[in-house]
Amino acid sequence: MNDFVELLNDLILSPSRKKKIDLLKIFFCKSNLKDKGWAFCILTNRMDRKFVSVKELKELIIENYDEDLFRFSYDYVGDLAETISLLWESNNEKNTKINLHEFMEIFSNFDHKNKFKTKLKYFLDRSSENQRYTIIKILTGGLRVGVSNGLIKEALKLSGVRKKSEIEEFWHGFKLPCTDLFEWLDGKKLPKYINRKKLFNSFMLANNYNSNEFKSCKTDDYIAEFKWDGIRAQIIFSEDGKIFSRNGEDITNSFCDINTFIKGYFVVDGEIVVKKNNKVLSFNHLQKRIGRKNPSKKLIEDYPIHFIAYDILFYTSVDCRALDLIERKKYLNRFINICKFSNISTSSLIKFSSWDQLQNIKETSLNNHIEGVIIKKKTSLYKKGRVVDGWYKWKRNPFSVDFIIMYAQRGHGKRSSFYSDFTFGCWVDEQFTKLVPVGKAYSGYTNDELKSLDRWVRNNTVERFGPVRSLKPGLVVEVSFDNINYSSRHKSGVALRFPRFSRIRWDKPISQVCSLKYIKDLIN
Amino acid sequence: MRKTNINWLKKKREGLYCVPGNFFIDPVFPVEKALITHAHTDHARPNNKSIFSSKETIELMHLRYGESYCSDFQIASFDEKIKINDVTVQILPAGHILGSIQFLINYKGYRLLISGDYKRTKDKTCLSYEPVECDTFITEATFGLPIFNHPNDESEVKKLIKSIKANVNKTHLIGVYALGKCQRLITLLRNLGYDETIYLHGALTKISDFYSKNNIKLGKISNISDCSRSEYANKLVLCPPSSLNDKWSQKFKNVVKGYASGWMRIRQRVKQKNIELPLILSDHADWGEILKTVNDVNPNEVLVTHGREEALVHYLTKKNFKSSALNLIGFEDENE
Repeated sequence: MNDFVELLNDLILSPSRKKKIDLLKIFFCKSNLKDKGWAFCILTNRMDRKFVSVKELKELIIENYDEDLFRFSYDYVGDLAETISLLWESNNEKNTKINLHEFMEIFSNFDHKNKFKTKLKYFLDRSSENQRYTIIKILTGGLRVGVSNGLIKEALKLSGVRKKSEIEEFWHGFKLPCTDLFEWLDGKKLPKYINRKKLFNSFMLANNYNSNEFKSCKTDDYIAEFKWDGIRAQIIFSEDGKIFSRNGEDITNSFCDINTFIKGYFVVDGEIVVKKNNKVLSFNHLQKRIGRKNPSKKLIEDYPIHFIAYDILFYTSVDCRALDLIERKKYLNRFINICKFSNISTSSLIKFSSWDQLQNIKETSLNNHIEGVIIKKKTSLYKKGRVVDGWYKWKRNPFSVDFIIMYAQRGHGKRSSFYSDFTFGCWVDEQFTKLVPVGKAYSGYTNDELKSLDRWVRNNTVERFGPVRSLKPGLVVEVSFDNINYSSRHKSGVALRFPRFSRIRWDKPISQVCSLKYIKDLIN
Repeated sequence: MRKTNINWLKKKREGLYCVPGNFFIDPVFPVEKALITHAHTDHARPNNKSIFSSKETIELMHLRYGESYCSDFQIASFDEKIKINDVTVQILPAGHILGSIQFLINYKGYRLLISGDYKRTKDKTCLSYEPVECDTFITEATFGLPIFNHPNDESEVKKLIKSIKANVNKTHLIGVYALGKCQRLITLLRNLGYDETIYLHGALTKISDFYSKNNIKLGKISNISDCSRSEYANKLVLCPPSSLNDKWSQKFKNVVKGYASGWMRIRQRVKQKNIELPLILSDHADWGEILKTVNDVNPNEVLVTHGREEALVHYLTKKNFKSSALNLIGFEDENE
């Protein structure tokens, strides 16, 4: 296990991509097959479940440590695994020497909740700080050690006989504990359970639109489509169809009202939205469906799903990814004609003859649930990731409103010494006497601005409640947000989507900030 | 039962004020009379009229601030009690940096101990902390959370030596505070047998020379500007933390960046500062040392200042000490 503990620690501290790849390569070379497999599963977050929840971990630490001291520490460190690993008092004499795969086998075969905690405590008691950190990170999943899948593919390519493109094709097929992946990399046959036609395919992604780059581009070479505010999905239509989310997660059950059963094999890329009475509804509505594994009949009726298809990767035996966009669109239309499912449609193309005109369409579109437009080069092939000369997203200009800062809270982790999370609000009415909180923002400022904000907070505190400070009304900030909707969950009655600071108005008097009525009028 | 009512200590805009003594302790703004615990810039500021501190602290202030260090000074010595107006003041070593002291202030038999910044770990560059019984104890809480448990300083410095040996072609660039940390790190390196020349950023030389003059042996040290570009490889270079990521450091190609600080305990901090080689080396008491010190000085009341006061106040209250946060402004949370 210690090799893996060291690997994680080194990966966290290594600043360069090359060094990280080297570290992984060395680890994959020297470790035994079983350890390699498990390490791969951990690094690529391939576990079928979380072994332990945040709640259970908190319970464990509180059973063994002063609860308040834990809370103060957690508030400061921001990372649960790190907090626990630093607080836990271990007995180093009992130090355990267990292999990574032995450790993983113990925990992946565990199903008794209470004994699980005892077992985890057993290991924490016998570990060093670094080992504890690794153990907890493994069991909670989501390592965040700055290792992308791309980096791991790079390291695997270097240690085996397979090409990167081959690794890419079968990447999503290998199952826990992935020892067969490493055998395959060494030249053995693919495991029988891998069926290429059931695997998720990597998505093509959009770059950000840059008006300078497009100035000289002919609009004739591009198509444009609306960017709907839904979730990206890949649907495999076959006799054993599947729906995958943006990161390849199987979400078939959550969206069971989309029929994926069809003879043949078609892989379609598009956006999942909620559509009722011929109208696409806001993301808030879609949120009711996300994460529900077995939606009730009522939920399905209240929030019916619609799939807006915009690309096709496979049309039976044709690998459309190697065809240009216009050809692919033809295949997509043929597929839509075959399937005839009422809740699947193609994304319509926007007619435009200049970039200015497209911008105008994007900004004036009456539909509130359009985030902007996507521009796609007609000759582009379907490739993984963000491709130059491929797709570009051009978002709508955000709303922008001045608010007054009301509360500040210390950040987490690396921002834990700064007041970086701000609650802002506006006047309740035109009398300018009472404020109501409207939203929270914790981004959009530079590091220098953060320092000035932090200083302002410390000098204008009225009251302190733990990590939160209540502030004297005095500082105006311009806040940008992508959208605004009514909300019964907020005191103000409105909810902003992705609010962030766009400017700090040190100069502006608070009497010039608007009232809640003005904000509500922004909703269409 | 001893009295715990200390109504003769006030918080003012300039800082902590002792009424019967008519002086301030580590004031943030210039005052008539200031008692200075140590020469770090957040505690020792220029332009006070009269200052009272250890010989080294006064000399360091002179070195840093030139003639604005004060208009009048009085050197405190460890073996006498000084009467200042209605109080008597005694000084004791604080173990933080060269010249750092604590003030034991006695007013009508009530003893107030102001410790300034301190640590309990042995440090060859300064006198060790000396505990003394008191009624009210003012402690810092820079590392006042139980997550801070500083590891052995030699094992941290061994990490640096190991890395220098393992990366022969690289320059090791280590961020250190100019006063205290820099010289302590050099001394630790020398004790572990590292006898190569250590190169210093210009901002570190003046104070290091001062340490040398005070008989703290730093071995061969040299200003980095005396070193030609082709010779950077395989050198150990110390610089102020702020220089680790500025233009100055870009002249070194192929570097391992390190940072010697108690904050290196926290991975997020290490990552945030792009540090490859964190050295957990602190001149402040960690959680265990603070608690040990409170036990040693055995006060009825503990006042907690700069740092993470809440956890310490909470813990001490639970242990039946009267305890509260002093909430002084002007002391930077993050300085070491």
